[in-house]
Amino acid sequence: MTPSGAAAPLVEIGKSDDVGAWDRGEIEPRIKTILDRTVRQRATGPYRPKSDAEVIAMLGRFFAHKGYREVAVTQVSRMSGGASKEQFAFTFRHAGDTEGERLVLRMDPLEAIAQTCRGREAEVQRLMADHLPIAPVRFHDADGDLLGQPAVILGFVAGVTEPTALRGKGVSGMGGQLGEFAAKLAPQYIHALATTHRFDVANTTFDYFSVPRANSRQAAIWQVNWWSRVWWDSLVEPVPMVTLAERWLRENAPVCDTPVLVHSDLRMGNFMFEEPSGDFTAVLDWELAHIGDLHEDLAWTTQKIFGAWRDDGVFLVSGLLPRDEFFRLYEEASGNRIDPVRLHYYEVLNAYKCAVMDLGQAMRAAKEGNNHQEVVLTWLGSAGAVFLDHIVTLIGDR
Amino acid sequence: MLPDIDLRIDNMLKALEQVVIPALPSGERLARDQVNLVIGHLRMMKDQWRFAVKFEAGSLENMMRLGDELADQVDPIYRQSLADALSVARNTDSDDQKALATAIHDLGSVIDRIILGEDGRLALAPAAFAAIIDYGHRQARRERSWFAATGLDPDRAELPTIAQTMSAAS
Repeated sequence: MTPSGAAAPLVEIGKSDDVGAWDRGEIEPRIKTILDRTVRQRATGPYRPKSDAEVIAMLGRFFAHKGYREVAVTQVSRMSGGASKEQFAFTFRHAGDTEGERLVLRMDPLEAIAQTCRGREAEVQRLMADHLPIAPVRFHDADGDLLGQPAVILGFVAGVTEPTALRGKGVSGMGGQLGEFAAKLAPQYIHALATTHRFDVANTTFDYFSVPRANSRQAAIWQVNWWSRVWWDSLVEPVPMVTLAERWLRENAPVCDTPVLVHSDLRMGNFMFEEPSGDFTAVLDWELAHIGDLHEDLAWTTQKIFGAWRDDGVFLVSGLLPRDEFFRLYEEASGNRIDPVRLHYYEVLNAYKCAVMDLGQAMRAAKEGNNHQEVVLTWLGSAGAVFLDHIVTLIGDR
Repeated sequence: MLPDIDLRIDNMLKALEQVVIPALPSGERLARDQVNLVIGHLRMMKDQWRFAVKFEAGSLENMMRLGDELADQVDPIYRQSLADALSVARNTDSDDQKALATAIHDLGSVIDRIILGEDGRLALAPAAFAAIIDYGHRQARRERSWFAATGLDPDRAELPTIAQTMSAAS
């Protein structure tokens, strides 16, 4: 609930029939379901990280329910990385496959830095599997009906997210370096972004996604309402800059003429490659994907915190290539034209989203003890002021 | 105070670095990552703890300055609640961390209401907008300095140290 207590939509006098900038009811339905569930389940914590034995028991019940016989779940290994999902690699054997397959369980803790939907993650990865290297989706349990917690089970993909020689420089993909691999990775990265934005949204029937109206502010307002809802639901301490950003985002929401598939977190740390070839093996972490404005992806990846500096002092987008070159190559690969006004708007939106995650949801999850690695959440949360300062720069000069 | 806080933090760091990490199997990457983050937090806290209350008092001072600047700009429906919150803030014990945090929360809540303006029904004056931006710049810079040791801030090289930030505030 906001400080003004305005849960009911307001009608904007004198505006067109487009969505109301302050209509908090304008939110993608599945996102509303996830955020409602977050609030409902918050008090059931604290969350205790799962043991290997618990994971084996959960998966055993799950596969038995799916009709597999003589199930064996072995070589369970907790994985590191990521700031939101509890991840385990394991080998799955059954009567029809005695050799077994190496799989990855990505499971929701009670709360994370981002509250998202495993059904959406599975759906978008299945849809994009014909277009990009992506970990294959074997199973999903969107609401945790069988596993007890929402989860997706993926085929194991080999690769690294940072060069082995440079490993350990960053946290959750931030502060890392790609070194000599940047030249090999950059074209594949541009291709991945352009391919995602070219996905045929109009001719796809989605189970877990809704498509905002074209030539409308709905795409922008859905995002503002998603993240402002997260902020007010998770509020630990008021932050005036976050609130000012929300107002600015509502009052400056642009029209999106053609909504596209937006990955929403495609940057260093979220693509995996093999060494020494540098070939992409998987585009990772589709949990924030939605249908929206292509500028959202571009503005996200050009944030300084997700980039790196070349030895000559030039900033590299996602640690890969200079900003101007990134935009030029993206336009060439996608056929899309970048609108500076919309790009600026989504720079503000993304800084706002990051501040909400760091200073809102992450702090609340850590305070409630509802995550499996609170020490990561408070580490990442300390970057909140970086985004606040970025918002100051972005909207303070206009 | 014996043993003092610095000594205890140093002892914890040594135990984690020289006993716990070597004892962890190399395959336990999450556990190793988390211990390394705990070490990072402890190193940062070693630089922060002596200034923590003063830092919080500075945050409240910044917010009170914003409240004072907003006082003449806000719609009449907010004037009394803002004046009340400012009055409580001014009388808060600046050596009491918990009281300072409570005052920040309460004053910040009133400022949030002013910014939202009943969900856009009330205009936010340009001077109020500018005051919030000015506050945001001051406060964000303090907080960036406070947490620069995480290494997450891409422009951390331009920031003053915690000691410099705190001496500038006094």
